[in-house]
Amino acid sequence: MKQNHFQKIIRGLSLTSVMFVFQACYGTPQDFGYDVYLSGVVTSAVTGKPIKGIKVSVENTSQYELTDSVGTFNMYVPKLKNYKVVFEDVDSISQGSFVSKDTILISANNSIQVNIALESK
Amino acid sequence: MNNLQKYIYRQFKKNETAIHELNYLFWECTSRCNLSCLHCGSDCSKDTSFPDMPLDDFLKAIDSISSPAKNFTVVLTGGEPLMRNDIEIIGREIRKRGMRWSMVTNGYIYTDEKHNALLNAGLGALTISLDGLEKSHNWLRNSKHGFTRTERAIELAASSARLNFDVVTCVNQRNLKEMDAVYNYLKTKHVKTWRLFTILPIGRAKNNPELLLDDFQFKGLMDFIVEKRKRKEMDVKFSCEGYVGDYETKVRDGAFFCRAGINIGSILIDGAISACPNIDRSFSQGNIYTDNFYEVWQNKYQAFRNRNWTETGLCEKCGEYKNCQGSGMHLWHGGKENVLVCHYSKIVK
Ligand code: SF4
Ligand code: SF4
Repeated sequence: MKQNHFQKIIRGLSLTSVMFVFQACYGTPQDFGYDVYLSGVVTSAVTGKPIKGIKVSVENTSQYELTDSVGTFNMYVPKLKNYKVVFEDVDSISQGSFVSKDTILISANNSIQVNIALESK
Repeated sequence: MNNLQKYIYRQFKKNETAIHELNYLFWECTSRCNLSCLHCGSDCSKDTSFPDMPLDDFLKAIDSISSPAKNFTVVLTGGEPLMRNDIEIIGREIRKRGMRWSMVTNGYIYTDEKHNALLNAGLGALTISLDGLEKSHNWLRNSKHGFTRTERAIELAASSARLNFDVVTCVNQRNLKEMDAVYNYLKTKHVKTWRLFTILPIGRAKNNPELLLDDFQFKGLMDFIVEKRKRKEMDVKFSCEGYVGDYETKVRDGAFFCRAGINIGSILIDGAISACPNIDRSFSQGNIYTDNFYEVWQNKYQAFRNRNWTETGLCEKCGEYKNCQGSGMHLWHGGKENVLVCHYSKIVK
């Protein structure tokens, strides 16, 4: 492409390789897209029904999300080599009690889908 | 930069202008704000009478972009974007389209819960305003608790490796002397990037000399940035607010290039299609309620892509014109007879 060709020449001349990264005065830095889309459904291993209110978190990040009324969760998490995703029942009274579970996932592309069934306590 | 480098850079700018790939789109999603800053109106010309733009109207506009650039980012701005309660929904809709999003905030209501929800929704970059140490910040931001709230926002942002995040500081008479202290403070908060800008003599700032730096102070600020950059402890930089001659590339990562209308577009609160939100509203190129956004981007923006009209007033006989090209578009107001501020002249005096 014409653009890439010219940019390569400029880079080659060592003007600066970062001139292609810019921000406006009142704008933000650019996003380099270091994240992965993590989604899935949490169900009961006994009834097979979706569970609402399960806390889904990724170890070594501060992020978490609670499953919705159909047991689904979806969140963008930092790009890592692998993920330990933890499922915890933090709403045991209304939905019954479930045993926490975690699972290790490898990130191969920009999205990970994980469906998990939790045992009852 | 030596003359050859300057020449190549000018050719590079010409090439970028000819291609004019849209990859940075401001959305002025609200004009509501939770603060009443002393300098408000100096960096924008906002009309607060407009209601928040419905998300669907904005999405319809960006859906007109037939093949978005690889790094296409929507930058949410306001007002204070967090005054809207649907920012996470907005973020997810943008990400669904394969685009990225970022946000500018004063940090006042950027809580732990909000931080988590925004990251979950795919927030990728963030800018937080901090205008000095506690007293100076609260003075400029006209708020008793502004500093404490913003401090928490900075801590949260700095704790997230995923966010490309910076702090911006609006330098004025009151906080100029404490820039060293702010630098040290930000280091303790693990801030990696700090961007400084000055206030333009327009809006509320016009009649408040405490907000404006004199030429000597401005040059001092450039020297401060140069010195801090040499240390390589933090990425300290001058914002893109104007051309600064020999300081170019010493106070920023790259040399000055006003990309408004070249790579930067905007959808403003009333649907107007323009570039940076601080640009005079008379430069609007159309309106999403009457025009196809992407057609406007591709076919209009002549005043942005051919800056010859800026060769007037102070710029007419300026020896630096070919490198500066009338500085930033946001420095042209009213009848556009003269550049509002020439940063270069401040440093060569
Ligand atoms: S007079 Fe105009 S062209 Fe010359 S340096 Fe100043 S702003 Fe730039
Ligand atoms: S108008 Fe140009 S100089 Fe001004 S903020 Fe936008 S890109 Fe920067």
